[in-house]
Amino acid sequence: MSLRRKSVITLIHKIASNIAIAANVVGTFVVVALIAVVNYDIIARGIFNKPFLGAVEVVQFSMVLIVFLQLPDVVRVGRLTRSDGFLGLVKQRSPGVGRRMSQILDLISGVFMVIIAVAFWPEFLEMWESQDYFGVPGVFTAPWWPVKLVIFLSASLCAVHFALHVLTGGEAPRKQESGT
Amino acid sequence: TETIKAVVIDGYPARALWVQEFTNFFIPEVDKRLAETGNYKMDWQESYGGTIVKPKGVLEGVKLGLGDIGIVTTIFHNSKLPSQAISAATPFVSADARAVAKAVDEIAKEFPAMQEEFAEQNQVYLATGVVLDTYQVFSKEPVNVMADLEGSKVAGAGMNLRYLEGIEGAAGVRGGLTDFYNMVQTGLVDHALLWPEAASTFKIAEVAPYMLRADLGAVNSKTITVNKDYWEKLPEEVQGALLEVAVEYRDHIAGIAMDRAEESRNAYVEQGGTIVELSAEQRKAWADAMPNIALEWAKGLDDDGQPGTEMLNAYLGKLRAAGFEPVRDWAAEAATN
Amino acid sequence: MTPVAIGLLSILAIILLIYMGLYIPIALGVVSFVAIWIMRDSFDLSFALTKIAIGDSAMEYTFATIPLFTFMGLIVSKAGLGADIYSVMNQGCRRVTGGIGMATVGANAVFAAVTGSSIASASVFSKMAVPEMLRHDYNPRFAVGVVAGSSVLGMIIPPSAMLIIYSFVAEQSVGEMFLAGVVPGLMLAAAYVAAIWFMGRFTPGFVGGRKVEAEDLMPWSEIFVKTLPIMILIVIVLGGIYTGWTTPVEAGAAGSLIGIIIAAVRRRINFRSFWETVIETGHITAAILFLITAASMYARMLGIAGLPNELQNILATIDFDFFWIMVLLVALMLFLGTILDTASIILIVVPLFLPLIDSMGLSLVWFGIVAVVAAEIGLLTPPLGLSCFIIKATLDDDRITLKDVFLGALPFAFVMLLVLILLIRFPALSLAILN
Ligand code: NA
Ligand code: NA
Repeated sequence: MSLRRKSVITLIHKIASNIAIAANVVGTFVVVALIAVVNYDIIARGIFNKPFLGAVEVVQFSMVLIVFLQLPDVVRVGRLTRSDGFLGLVKQRSPGVGRRMSQILDLISGVFMVIIAVAFWPEFLEMWESQDYFGVPGVFTAPWWPVKLVIFLSASLCAVHFALHVLTGGEAPRKQESGT
Repeated sequence: TETIKAVVIDGYPARALWVQEFTNFFIPEVDKRLAETGNYKMDWQESYGGTIVKPKGVLEGVKLGLGDIGIVTTIFHNSKLPSQAISAATPFVSADARAVAKAVDEIAKEFPAMQEEFAEQNQVYLATGVVLDTYQVFSKEPVNVMADLEGSKVAGAGMNLRYLEGIEGAAGVRGGLTDFYNMVQTGLVDHALLWPEAASTFKIAEVAPYMLRADLGAVNSKTITVNKDYWEKLPEEVQGALLEVAVEYRDHIAGIAMDRAEESRNAYVEQGGTIVELSAEQRKAWADAMPNIALEWAKGLDDDGQPGTEMLNAYLGKLRAAGFEPVRDWAAEAATN
Repeated sequence: MTPVAIGLLSILAIILLIYMGLYIPIALGVVSFVAIWIMRDSFDLSFALTKIAIGDSAMEYTFATIPLFTFMGLIVSKAGLGADIYSVMNQGCRRVTGGIGMATVGANAVFAAVTGSSIASASVFSKMAVPEMLRHDYNPRFAVGVVAGSSVLGMIIPPSAMLIIYSFVAEQSVGEMFLAGVVPGLMLAAAYVAAIWFMGRFTPGFVGGRKVEAEDLMPWSEIFVKTLPIMILIVIVLGGIYTGWTTPVEAGAAGSLIGIIIAAVRRRINFRSFWETVIETGHITAAILFLITAASMYARMLGIAGLPNELQNILATIDFDFFWIMVLLVALMLFLGTILDTASIILIVVPLFLPLIDSMGLSLVWFGIVAVVAAEIGLLTPPLGLSCFIIKATLDDDRITLKDVFLGALPFAFVMLLVLILLIRFPALSLAILN
C-alpha cells in the first residue's frame, strides 16, 4: 500500500470513526431519554392520573434510534455477534489466509449494509413527501420519516466501516476504545 | 385449466375468526366459482401468524408483493388510510356488525376516497370486514352510570381512547389486547374497553366481573386487498370471483361476529360475570359529553380534498335507513358548522 | 425447488457462513436475501423482504425491556450490589462445592420474577455473577454455563414475553399461562441446583471454586447492609409489576432510575462511569436487536418459501400418536432452536401443532408451557444460542470464547431437556396451580 493511499484511508477512517462515535453519543442520550420518559409516564399516571398517551410511540421510536444510532459503533469496535473460533484458528495457522478470509467476510457484510441503505433511501423519500405518521390522531402521532432516515444513515455508515475493515485488513480500528 | 398461485397473508394467527373464515369460507367459495367453468384453478398459499408479516405489516406486505392477497387491519394505518376510521369516529350509532360492514363497504364503493387510499399503497380494495360487534366497558367494580367512570383509569386502544374524553378525570391507558387481563388484574386500570368475544376468549370475567353494556358501536377493522400488479395480471373471471366472494365474506364474518357476540355474552355470565345495561339517557349523556370526533374526521378529509362530510352524511344515512338512529347526530353538527 | 429443500439448503448455508466466522445477523440476512432472489427470481422481492423485516422489527414496544433491564443490571453491578449479594450468597452456600453457582440460580429465579426476557437475565448476570465466580476461582466454563442455564428462567417464571406470545397464538388467557409457568420455572431452578450439587460431587474439576475461609465471614449487620439495597430494588420492581403500577417496560425504567439513585447515594458512580454504563447498554441493545431483526428476516423468508405450510401438510398425512407427536415436537424445536430465536420458533411451530393438540383433547395451557420450555432450550444450543451470545457479548472478555460458553451451558441444556420430559409426562405440574 502506498504511503499516500494509506494516509487517505487513515483520514477517512478518522472521519468515519468520529461520526460513528457522535451517533453513538446521540444514541446514548436516547437511552437516558427512554428511562426518563417512561418514568415520567409512571409518575404522571400513578400520582396525577394523567398518563402520557404517547409513551408507546416514544418508546418504539427510541428503540429504533438506539439500535441504529449505536450499530455503526458496534461495527466499528467489532462487537457484532459472531462465532470466530474457526477464523481464529485459520489466522493462527496462516495469518495471510486468515486476513484474506476476514476481508471477504467484511466485504459480504458491507454489501449487505449497502443493500439495506439502498432499500431504505426510497422509503425515506416516500415518507418525507407523504408526511405519514404512526399513532392515533387526537391521541398521539409521530412522523415515520426520521425512522427511515436513521436506518438509511446507519446502514450507510456501517457499510463505510466494513469497507474500512476490508481495506485495513480489519486490524487497526478495533483496538480503539469504544466511544468515550 | 390454468393454475394461478396466490399467497394470502395476515399477521394474526390462523385461529383468529376472520382468518379462519378466510380459509373455511372465502377460499372454497372462490374455488367453487372457478370450478364452474373450469378455466382457472387457484393454488393457495396461506401464510398467517407472523410467518411473513406481523399484523401491522400486512398493508406494506401486500404493497411490496410479499403477499398477493392480504387481510389488512386498517385501524393501524390512520395516516395512510384515514377514511377507514369512519365507524370508529362515529360511536353510539350501531352495535350491529352486519349493518356497519355493509354501510362502510358501500361507502367505499360509492366514494372513490377509500379505494384511492389503497391504490396509493399499490393495492386493490375488495371489501370491508367487521369482526367485532361493539366495545363495552369491563370493570373490576360495578359500574351503572357514566359517573362511575369519572376519575378512573380505562384501558383502551386506538380511537376508542377518545371516547373517554368527555368523562371527568377519566384517563385512557393504552394497551394491547393481550395485556388487558393483566392490566385489570393488577389494578393498573379500573376498566377495559373490549368487545365481548375478546373478553370471553381472554377470560376477562375472572378479573373484571362487571360488564357495562354501553354499546359504543361496531367498528370496521379489516379490509381484503389484492396487490395491484398481481391483480392486473389476473384473468377477468378470477377478478370477478374474488370481488363477489369478498362481499359474501364481508356479510358472512359480520354474521358470525354477531352470533359469537351473543355466545360470548352468555359465556361471560357463565364465567361469573354480571352484565349491567347502560340506560338510554346515560348513553346520550356520554355521547354528548364527547368531542365531535366524527366532525374532526370529516373535516380532516375535507381539507385533504376528499368528500369527508358527504361520506359521513351518506354513511349515517345508510345506517338510519337500516334502522339505526344515532344517539347523537354527529353529521347534523357538521352541517351547521 | 420445494420449500423443504429451500429450508434445508438455507439452514446449511447459514451454518456454514456462521462457522466461517461471518457475523451472525449478516449471515441470516444475506442468506434470506439470496434465497428469495433465487426462489422467486425477483430482486425487488428480496428488497421488499429487507424493508419489511428491518423496518418493523426494532419497533416493538416490549423490546424496550432489553435496554432497560440491561441498564438496570449494569448500574446495579457498578453500584457494587452484585458483588455484595454474591458475597452474602456465597457465604450462605459456602459449605457446598459450587455453592455460588446455586446462589446464581437462586438469584436468577428471583430476578426472573421481575423480567420478561432471558436476554435481560443473561446480560445482567453475566456482568454480576461471572466476575464474582471467577474471583472465587470457579472454572470459567462452569461460571458462564450457570449464567446461561439460569438465564432461561427469565422466560419461564412469569412475567414472560414468550408466554405472552404463546397466549396470543393459541388464544389462551395470559393470566392462566403466567400461573402455569410458576411451578415449571421453580422446578427447573431446583433441577439446576441439584445438577450443580451432582457436578460438585462427581466432577469437581468442571466446577472449580474455593470455600470461603473463616476469616472471610461477615457479621449479620454487614449482611443486612449488603442485602438491603437490592431487596428494595426487587420489591419496587416486583411490586410494580404485581400490584399493577407498571408494565415490565416501566418496571425496567423504574428499576433503572432506582439503580441510579442507589449508585449515587453510595457514591459508587460518577458522570464518567454513568456514561460508560449507558454506552454499554446501547452497544448490547444494538447487537441483540440487530440479531433479532435478522432472525425475523430469515423466519419470514421461510414463510414466503411456504415451509410452514409444507410442514403442516406433512403432519396432516401422517397419523401420529401422542408419544410420537411429542417426540416430533421436541426434535423439531431442538433443531430449530439451533438456528432460530425463541419467538420465531414459537410463532412457526405452535400453529403447526395446535390443531393436533386441540383435536386430541389436550390442554392448550399445558402445551404452551411445553412449547415455551422446548423452544428455550435453543437459547443454549450452538450455533445460534441467544443467551450464550449475549453472555459472550456482555462479558467482552477474550479469555472466554463463545465455545466455552456453549460447552458450559450444555449440561444445563440437558437438565432442561429432562425437566421438559417430566413436564410432558406429568401435565399436572403445569396445571395443578390453576385448579
Ligand atoms: Na420472567
Ligand atoms: Na440454539
